[in-house]
Amino acid sequence: MSSEYGEPIIEITHLEKSFGDNQVLTDFNLTIRRGENVVVLGKSGCGKSVLIKCIVGLLNYQGGSIKVFGKEIAELNQHALDELRARIGFVFQSSALYDSMTVRENLEFSLRRHGKHKTKEEVKMLVEEMLTNVGLLHAIDLMPSELSGGMRKRIGLARSLVLKPEIVLYDEPTTGLDPITAKEISNLMLLMQQKYNTSSIIISHDMHCAQLTANRLTVMIDGINYAQGTFNELSSMTDPKVHAFFETI
Amino acid sequence: MIMSPRNTIQHPSSSWMSPKVKEFFNEAGEIAQFAGRFFREVMLPPYEIKEAIRQSYRIGYLSLPLVGITAFIIGLVLTLQSRPTLVEFGAEAWLPSMVGISIIREIGPVIIALICAGKIGSSIGAELGSMKVTEQIDAMEVGGTNPFKYIVVTRIVSTTLMIPILIFIGDAIALYGGFLAVKINTSVSATLFFHQVFNSLTFSDAIPAIIKSYFFGFAIGLIGCYKGYNSKKGTEGVGRSANSAVVIASLLVFIIDLMAVQITQFLGFL
Repeated sequence: MSSEYGEPIIEITHLEKSFGDNQVLTDFNLTIRRGENVVVLGKSGCGKSVLIKCIVGLLNYQGGSIKVFGKEIAELNQHALDELRARIGFVFQSSALYDSMTVRENLEFSLRRHGKHKTKEEVKMLVEEMLTNVGLLHAIDLMPSELSGGMRKRIGLARSLVLKPEIVLYDEPTTGLDPITAKEISNLMLLMQQKYNTSSIIISHDMHCAQLTANRLTVMIDGINYAQGTFNELSSMTDPKVHAFFETI
Repeated sequence: MIMSPRNTIQHPSSSWMSPKVKEFFNEAGEIAQFAGRFFREVMLPPYEIKEAIRQSYRIGYLSLPLVGITAFIIGLVLTLQSRPTLVEFGAEAWLPSMVGISIIREIGPVIIALICAGKIGSSIGAELGSMKVTEQIDAMEVGGTNPFKYIVVTRIVSTTLMIPILIFIGDAIALYGGFLAVKINTSVSATLFFHQVFNSLTFSDAIPAIIKSYFFGFAIGLIGCYKGYNSKKGTEGVGRSANSAVVIASLLVFIIDLMAVQITQFLGFL
């Protein structure tokens, strides 16, 4: 399985994370190779979002190790962490668009720190390229409050790609969308993966999205990766805990 | 679950301190840490000047109508209500001096700071709280922008600089309101009224008032930002942040005022 892909770019070993007495991740292990797209499945509240927030350093972890591009996240200072984050895109569940800024400003904001060497014209072209990718160039001067849920997800995706990251972390990208819009977003994610050659971790409950976008799936239960494999391998497993995720298809 | 010895040992202070008292001291400590982080971050580049100007416009210019109307009414009512008593003692001529001193020294700064605590404190608390629960602050951090510097530092700097200006303008409007109230009953000219007001004022009246205005501005910005930035529990938390930002900032305005009176008395200004 691993030979199809490049070198490991995210290595998570024996990860432990708790909130007070609530142990969320107990002994989580996962490796992502360059070019690989992995979907993490799990029940609500099992710690999927916590996992990707630990990867970008938004949350601290109590034990284990997360290495991204060979660097241990917990050991990085703020400057090094910011440099690393420029290589990682993050699509939030709520899209997290800055609601006091227009769509254009939302995309330009990501370039404030890491796109300093770019001219105004280059920034403008880059923003327009990303909005064209997601089919929303016409919304460039709209405010987030004027956008529908699907449009906000697309803009969130465009914003995460504006720095041309090598890894994109998706936190439930299709949650709250109707099946047609959810499929459009899944197709768009696949298109962006292919166009920009990104690797990704996708947190999702949407099995259609998982089927479409993932090279590999991992099932998170009780804070560990309980099972992993391709979509077909997991869907044919008889283990009731794993099978439960595929019953809805 | 096996409890480790560390978990079972109770700190001596925890046995006699009620949870509410502990919570109060915890929060006071956290606010002090938050203020400390502000002083560290405000010194270090990059400086978010554009955002600070934008916030100054929102906090200062957009608060002017409310501050202006309130100050005008305060000046007018204070003068109208004081006049009969002064007339009774044959001291009507002291009216401009009394109005001037009370507005510049105390009523202007405190009332306008309270208005600002309500308008600006709640707005900052709710805005930052909403940004927190909708993950906008996390998105900024992931995007490589220091959210504390961009969101918190700019707002605290703006309130610290703008609220004294609002108080200065409010004082002027309140004095004008006072003049109109005098004008209703007598034929005193504006020149005479303001001449009497400024004749009775000294630097020792104005300087402590100006200095405490900066502390009011800082406290309102700090509490609004602290409450919003640490907002929890979804939309309910946003409401709580806005509400507690107003309550704590208003309380701090009175505490700072009390301290200012003691300090100015100690320094011989009173």
